[in-house]
Amino acid sequence: MMINAQLYVKDLPGRLVESLEPISLVNGNIVGVVHDREQIVNQRICIDVTFEIKGNQELDQLKEIWKSKDVLIAKIGSVYKTYTMEYMLVGSFTASFVETLIDEASKIISLESVDVTYSSGNAKSTRTAMISAELMSEKDLKRFDEFLADACRKSKIVYIRGL
Amino acid sequence: MRILISGFGTVGQGFADVLLKRSDLFRERYGREVSIVCVMDSTTYIADQTGLRLGDLLERKKVTGKVGNDKYSDSTEVIDSVDYDLMVEVSPTDIKTGGVGLKNIRHALGSGKDVITVNKGPLALNFCELVALAKKNGCKFRFEGSVGGAMPIINLCRENLVGERISSIRGILNGTCNFILSKMDNGQPFEQALKEAQQMGYAETDPTNDVEGYDSACKVVILANSIFGRNVRFSDVNITGITSISSEAISLAASQNMVIRLIGEVSEDRLEVSPRLISKGHPLSIGGTLNAAQIVTDLAGPITVSGRGAGRIETASAILSDLVSIMDDRKERGGKCQKK
Repeated sequence: MMINAQLYVKDLPGRLVESLEPISLVNGNIVGVVHDREQIVNQRICIDVTFEIKGNQELDQLKEIWKSKDVLIAKIGSVYKTYTMEYMLVGSFTASFVETLIDEASKIISLESVDVTYSSGNAKSTRTAMISAELMSEKDLKRFDEFLADACRKSKIVYIRGL
Repeated sequence: MRILISGFGTVGQGFADVLLKRSDLFRERYGREVSIVCVMDSTTYIADQTGLRLGDLLERKKVTGKVGNDKYSDSTEVIDSVDYDLMVEVSPTDIKTGGVGLKNIRHALGSGKDVITVNKGPLALNFCELVALAKKNGCKFRFEGSVGGAMPIINLCRENLVGERISSIRGILNGTCNFILSKMDNGQPFEQALKEAQQMGYAETDPTNDVEGYDSACKVVILANSIFGRNVRFSDVNITGITSISSEAISLAASQNMVIRLIGEVSEDRLEVSPRLISKGHPLSIGGTLNAAQIVTDLAGPITVSGRGAGRIETASAILSDLVSIMDDRKERGGKCQKK
């Protein structure tokens, strides 16, 4: 899992390395580090680090090591990788049809966010909607795709998805 | 190398032109020129075991509309009357039955002759049967120009990327649809863009095969069978054409910095031709009549190729590459035999 942590260490030489080394000790992989010397609180400087780690057991182990080395953890949390995909519907439907569709999808699929844009044209018989969805996993992405494709097929709506 | 050309339309004449342009290549590489011993069009044929003069054939076709003076009713009778090593099958595509192309390819492979074709019909309908027939009779069967015209893709995947695991191929496989969608990007409605494509010779009078996605679907089948080793047919492809794409849809996509392109996709679990939303700047967002394909591999990552998907000389260039490959192989085998 991907973790982001905000740490505070004493403003002394070698403390930055001392705070990052334990991540490698628990087989973590550092993705990014920001060493913020502008942000000093109680003579401690802020280190913002993002890393990959196997699981909660390793994370607990890491927290213990930081504690033993006098590294203060100000904030820690998971960073989720999300998957975004665009979809377009072309046909005869109403805005409430799209809303209902997304409501039904959200009951069975973890949708992080959904944004719908409608065409501004004045076509009487057809309209176009563009759905931009952010999902938690590739599996969700596939399920959402199948859900929309199936619903559009049943309602005879042209369905276009992103690449 | 004695060649029989089956089909003397646009591509057949293009191939004759390319052979004339590249006669030096054969002399330098193999110490001799290739010899065309028979050419058939839809109703006539001309044959000469000592070799036909390609310039004369092109001229006669241009003037009379026929390649030969002798008419035929059964193409296999003509084929059997000629002593040849390789057939170039470029008769018109028939995606419903495979047409005369399927009959001629079957006959040549069944007789132990090498075959090069760009004819999508036989490949989309009877790929596995034809490959098995070629294997059984020890023949070479190549078809690079059947997908993407001059854009290298089949031989690229089967030869240059032979060590890769290819997870998917997605591409613009029909230049006519891409031309129409590019014109729609500029504000033209579908009907007008189609008419322009017809006027410029990109689309047929009956554009169904192109705009309904059938032509792309044939290519998807060829890629799935030849590169992914699948055993699928035209009817297995999930096809959506571009006729339902409205100007509104194009505008809405553009407002999100995207374009709509007709994409053929082949992977382990997908066999599809459908319009897709593509971010501007993506390699598959190209406009005009170009074809493009993105091959996703495990070691090399994504590889993108693009090129002219149709055209007289362009398609003939793919036939030339197949011919050189077969002749190289024969030369190599000949060399090995001599060493023994």
